[in-house]
Amino acid sequence: MKKSLKTSFVASLAAFVLLGFAMAPAAEAARGGGGGARAAGGGGGGGASRQVNNSSRDARANNVRNTSVNNVNSSRNVSRDVNIDRDVNIDVDVDHGHGGWDHDYHPVATAAVIAGTAALIGSIVYSIPPSCVPINYGGMIYQQCGSTWYQPQGAQYIVVNPPY
Amino acid sequence: MIPKKLAPALALLALSLAIPSVYAQTAPAATVQPTGNAVDPASIEALKNMGAHLQTLKRFQVSTELTGERVLADGQKLQHTAAADLNVYRPNKLRARMHSSRSEREIIYDGKHATLYTPAQKYYSTVEFTGDLGELIVKLEEKYAVQMPLADMFLWGTPAASFDKIESAMNAGQDYIDDDLCDHYAFRQANIDWQIWITTGSKPLPRKLVITNRSDEARPQSVSLMEWNLKPTFKDSVFKFTPPKGATAVELHSTDKK
Repeated sequence: MKKSLKTSFVASLAAFVLLGFAMAPAAEAARGGGGGARAAGGGGGGGASRQVNNSSRDARANNVRNTSVNNVNSSRNVSRDVNIDRDVNIDVDVDHGHGGWDHDYHPVATAAVIAGTAALIGSIVYSIPPSCVPINYGGMIYQQCGSTWYQPQGAQYIVVNPPY
Repeated sequence: MIPKKLAPALALLALSLAIPSVYAQTAPAATVQPTGNAVDPASIEALKNMGAHLQTLKRFQVSTELTGERVLADGQKLQHTAAADLNVYRPNKLRARMHSSRSEREIIYDGKHATLYTPAQKYYSTVEFTGDLGELIVKLEEKYAVQMPLADMFLWGTPAASFDKIESAMNAGQDYIDDDLCDHYAFRQANIDWQIWITTGSKPLPRKLVITNRSDEARPQSVSLMEWNLKPTFKDSVFKFTPPKGATAVELHSTDKK
């Protein structure tokens, strides 16, 4: 999937506007436990009761160009597109970069840093608009809200590139 | 250009380097000998034996703890951990639970339906499927980009796990994993180097798997430790998924669609 800078920028801008619009009412709804806010819920395997909070995590930690693989007999071992041409086209080939069962971090790598929108992809929000549609892609739940995609992380959501 | 002052020193250095190499040539070539066969047949045989033994296990539990790595844009690496527990009843029943600080997910297969479930949000996706566990694993990965934890454990010993691609195989000696004495083997194929620790003896079980991804110069590596319970007490009902109250069906995106 190829994305030109221009469309990314427009999409990000749209997301920015959407976010700004959605934040306040959704946050309120979350407190009330109703409305459109969805409880992202946490991982917390093994009955851990403490919620993971990633709001302090540096955005660079999401800028993933490659990952380890977990299985020998995997069709996904073969090639991963790690060539990111930062100047012109951003090759968002996450389809094949999203293989291992432990990759519950969405690779937002390819988002690179686009002037003025850097905070967007990879940024954390506490709630999402009520119109979002959940989709299971690669075993992970995403929330698609128009052109903006979110992935639940602990009790928050991270803004990610479209997974496909 | 070599400065004149340095030339004698360099000549001396060259001489001192030459002496051991002359010595090495004349010394008996006992210690370092290139092996005739890069693929040690006994190491491949060990994999085959392990695969055959895995296929004989009908009802078992296996759990794994995995440490994986992500390579950031500048080559710096971050480690993360995840765990999975699997209840298995061959040929066609499985329940896998994957958990980490980021998420908790389940894959449930009763021989007719495969369900992906996210308990935190009560989202589930069910697809119809008939086939054994090896076929399920291949299909989930190919069609839905969903990878089963410990997928190799179900593919070794089947045609889906070909050893033909192995370019190098060697026995790396013995080692303990917990209290189990294991044979340690190392392999290279395509973009990966991998190592496996298999319990010694007539019932070989994999206890540790390390995979190094060579497609990136940072060589991200995964380490999986495995625990086996061959006398499990789970009931068959664990393989049946009934959506809990308030659960929502969610589309499972097929990679066929773009």
